[in-house]
Amino acid sequence: MTKTVLECRNLWKVYGDVVALRDVSLEIREGDIKLVFGPSGSGKSTLARCLAMLTTPTKGDVFLEGERLTGPGVDLNKARARIGFVFQQIWLFHHLTAMGNVELGLRRVLKMSKAEARERAMRSLREVKLEDWAGHYPAQMSGGQQQRVGIARALAMEPEIIILDEPTSALDPELTGEVIDALRDLADRGTTMLVISHEMPFAREVADEMIFMDEGAIVERDAPEVFFTNPSSDRARRFMARLIRRTRED
Amino acid sequence: MDLAEKLFLILSGLPATLSISILSFLLGFAIGLPLALIRTYSSRPLQAVVDGYEKVLRSVPEIVTMLFLYFGVGGIPALRQPFKNSFFAATFALGLRSGANQSQVFRGAIRGVGEAQMTAARSLGLSRLRAIVHVMIPQAFIVATPGLGSEYALLVKDSSYAFILGVIEMMRRADTVRKTTLDTVFPYLAAALLYILITFPLATYLDMWGSRKKRQLGL
Repeated sequence: MTKTVLECRNLWKVYGDVVALRDVSLEIREGDIKLVFGPSGSGKSTLARCLAMLTTPTKGDVFLEGERLTGPGVDLNKARARIGFVFQQIWLFHHLTAMGNVELGLRRVLKMSKAEARERAMRSLREVKLEDWAGHYPAQMSGGQQQRVGIARALAMEPEIIILDEPTSALDPELTGEVIDALRDLADRGTTMLVISHEMPFAREVADEMIFMDEGAIVERDAPEVFFTNPSSDRARRFMARLIRRTRED
Repeated sequence: MDLAEKLFLILSGLPATLSISILSFLLGFAIGLPLALIRTYSSRPLQAVVDGYEKVLRSVPEIVTMLFLYFGVGGIPALRQPFKNSFFAATFALGLRSGANQSQVFRGAIRGVGEAQMTAARSLGLSRLRAIVHVMIPQAFIVATPGLGSEYALLVKDSSYAFILGVIEMMRRADTVRKTTLDTVFPYLAAALLYILITFPLATYLDMWGSRKKRQLGL
């Protein structure tokens, strides 16, 4: 049996009177590709951020390879370095080139030498087909290229898992393809991933499991085929019908 | 005394004017950047202390601070040594005030860089301090450049207050020329022109550089 990489148990996140996550438990094993989807405000992003410990859960626990991250005395910087994160709004460092963006964590967190970091960063940029853009600043690149740098930045750290929070939803429709291609490459290489996405053809093709969230809770989790043919919950069925209709119209 | 002689005499005050301006700017920077970081990232009580510092130094006229440092603090026997020096008192007073101003400039710049950059840096495993050093400050500098240019220009102008304490700077020299030659027009015109020359080009350049860089990087 493959080992568990990232796990959360009975996770709650409450902002004032708003319950963003209610009692969510999830286990991601090595090589898994989990796809989370659901209406906006359903708690997907909050879940992603809590799993990466970018937000502290109100209640419940997160474990990275068995180590409890929600307890006292944990070096969260070390833990975050092992969890890659790709943001919906991309959030590259504006003052650094593509190379600089990818190198930063290698140099300042993993303490690599300049030469070592450069080589590893170049390899990551090559993996997202941007080796020719290493010297460009984010503002000189398209949204799709920027997001691929975002992926390379996460990838270069050689994390145990990469969490992608709607990596294509801030992009113009004609730019999503190149990002999806990059994700497909990651999937082919057996990268452990949690992807929040509504890109249904992609989900069907690569996901081991799809997780449907609504109102802060997991409503249904199943193999993609089940969601595409016969979801068991009404809410998932209605949502899938809408998504599939929208995909066809595109 | 012909015009050239008058001009040279006024110019002889330029080194003091520039020294006061530049040294007080550097002191203001050394105070302002840390204060901005405290205002942005530290605990409430510390933030309140910084806020108080900024409010006091920005509301008290610099001339009051100068005279207070020179006569008040300089009157304390143990502190007589540096503060009874008029150049020191003037520079120190302007530096303290500039620290309050620069703190505001940098705080605005850090806010302009945005919390998202911090989150992105933290997601890579950078500690807060490293994220501040490698991600927030370099970008905040670019955003702050136009404001820092204005602050420099302000300090050059305010360095003329040192005249009151008896520092032999450009204003003092212009005044001496007026007194000794009874020419009441040229000395002040020449001084005005020199002040413009040492502030305007640099401040404008910094403004343009900062704005261009911001646009280029999409900040």
